[in-house]
Amino acid sequence: MQDLGRPTAPQPDSSSPAAEASVRNAQTQAGTPAPARERRKPRISETPPAAPPAPRLADYESIIGKSQLDELRFVASPLRGKRVKMVNSTAVGGGVAEMLNRLVPLLDELEIKTGWEVITGGNDFFEVTKAFHNALHGGEFTLTQQARDVFMLHTEQNRKRMSFDEDLVVIHDPQPAGLISSKAGKSSHWVWRCHIDLSHPNRDVWSFLHPMVEQYDAAVFSSPAFARSLAIPQALFYPCIDPLSEKNKDLDEKYIQEVCDNFGVDRSRPIVTQISRFDRLKDPLGVIKAYKMAKKYVDFQLVLAGGGASDDPEGAVVLKEAQEAAGDDPDVIILELPPWSALEINALQRASTIIVQKSLKEGFGLTVTEALWKAKPTIASAVGGIPTQVIDKHTGLLVHSVEGCAYQIRYLLTHPEFGAQLGRNGREHVKENFLMTTNARRWVMLFRILSSSNA
Amino acid sequence: MQTAITPTTAFSTVQAKAPFEFKSAAHLLFIERERASSIDELLRALQSCPEESIFQHTFRTLEEHHFIKEGFSNDFAHWAYTELGEVGLGERLASLDVREFTSLAALRERLVQVVEEFASEHPKSRERTAPMPFYFCSSKTIVLQTQRHAANLLEFIDGLRQVSLHSIHYHFIEARLRRKLESNDFSIWLLRDLGLERESVLLNHIDIYTSTLEGVRRKIIQILQNAVH
Repeated sequence: MQDLGRPTAPQPDSSSPAAEASVRNAQTQAGTPAPARERRKPRISETPPAAPPAPRLADYESIIGKSQLDELRFVASPLRGKRVKMVNSTAVGGGVAEMLNRLVPLLDELEIKTGWEVITGGNDFFEVTKAFHNALHGGEFTLTQQARDVFMLHTEQNRKRMSFDEDLVVIHDPQPAGLISSKAGKSSHWVWRCHIDLSHPNRDVWSFLHPMVEQYDAAVFSSPAFARSLAIPQALFYPCIDPLSEKNKDLDEKYIQEVCDNFGVDRSRPIVTQISRFDRLKDPLGVIKAYKMAKKYVDFQLVLAGGGASDDPEGAVVLKEAQEAAGDDPDVIILELPPWSALEINALQRASTIIVQKSLKEGFGLTVTEALWKAKPTIASAVGGIPTQVIDKHTGLLVHSVEGCAYQIRYLLTHPEFGAQLGRNGREHVKENFLMTTNARRWVMLFRILSSSNA
Repeated sequence: MQTAITPTTAFSTVQAKAPFEFKSAAHLLFIERERASSIDELLRALQSCPEESIFQHTFRTLEEHHFIKEGFSNDFAHWAYTELGEVGLGERLASLDVREFTSLAALRERLVQVVEEFASEHPKSRERTAPMPFYFCSSKTIVLQTQRHAANLLEFIDGLRQVSLHSIHYHFIEARLRRKLESNDFSIWLLRDLGLERESVLLNHIDIYTSTLEGVRRKIIQILQNAVH
């Protein structure tokens, strides 16, 4: 850890009238006297740590239990010796690469020989595929003949460069979707794994890709809401987290304390945290409003931590707005963290009393999965994939407004036993449905179902 | 988990006529075409969806949400309550006990009947639209051998402790669809192969809707431990 000396919010002078007013507010309005505090300088790691080795299958036994691990091995046993190829568009960065980094060794360990290849292409290709990606999410885009030609040219080059002799081929996302033409004349089974939301795609782009997708034996989506009407079977694979990753593994209490000390978070008082990029769709300003409303009744600190401000001009604007909204309140701790902060984020989540995800729009919302896995009482917006995870009043609390968020913060801070029950249920929900081992089992099941369709 | 029991009667080691073979089941979800945003759409979809969808949203959802012990009985009830805002319909759907049905056709018929009756009693409810549609899914099942057998009551209790909750669900809840009987694999084996009539009946009286599945496992073990002692 290095002290970069770059606080992300103005440093208040504790003797200033504003700081005094802030302390006075906390004393008179929250009912619980808060000691005069200064905002601490966060100490943020400057360089990425070395990647830890990928876990072995046996490492998951302590988490899911021997019986479930045995069942996974049993489901996989008829597939021993089968060969699988995974293809995507990037080896590093992004959720798909992160997931494949864990999934491929697990399948290999189940004796399903799994390879992973990445397509190549020039800037022109990736500009087109990025535009496709945004258009499939509903963005404006004019599909030109030139864009079609660039896509097909690079698809053809990749097709010639790669061989497809495996029993099962899994193509991830639209970028390599055109490789399906290599299936012709082969008995192998091909799966298109779509990680993006296709509920409102740009019509031209979808019309271009649709005939390719229909040639696969099956498609896989992350949510029924993200799927399209297709003639092929569509499996549902929820996104997942790895309980042994840096972001989710158990941590020593000492380390959690160290991270809180470095970030100026006081563990003797309640902590409400939102982990997310500084992005308008994550509504950090709404979270600060909810904090201010709830703070009149209960004493707590708010931590907003995430990245996205250094590599995204809009993120920098949102971060600045959040800092301005927080003003000189030392109980609002805003942390812009580098991409290699998985351990620190893990520690912050574990130190939190409540975790909030007040997004205005969301994909699946893996930060919610992470919070539930840590058995934290979670308050989250009823958008995207969040209601699949947060079953209202069972595994967390769903909200639809700033006011709702503020009220539920007050409620959970004053009813910790209810919060603890939500936390326990939330962890069980993740254990049953959203862990990497469940994901591996889904792949194995799909491979078995497709393989048996030969008969 | 229960603490280990000490056999106080020779009965606990009496050999069963045939061993109990613990199995389990793995399920894979598929997205179906049907979706519903209103009561009328729900009704149509309930009538046309594959039986695997009825299974998924009733029997399977109990397994997926096995850690919840109150207020969650099936996906249709949950959606009617939380998304459609029809509390009365949610309550009626939630009161259905899947264990009263030995076929998915009968369960589908009952679901349709409940929705039809509610819509006819509350015509205004047909105008409501849910912000989040109900997406029909289905599940494909692969049955798994666990390599675990029980030749007597003690081994059976030990097996119950060791197997996954998927196995408990497979034998205790899904079994009636397979067997077309209002009973379960455990009760049938206890009666047929060990002659334990009382325990066989007691197991069928366990309320699966007010316990977690882990709680159901504990209750089964408790009943059998009492028999041992």
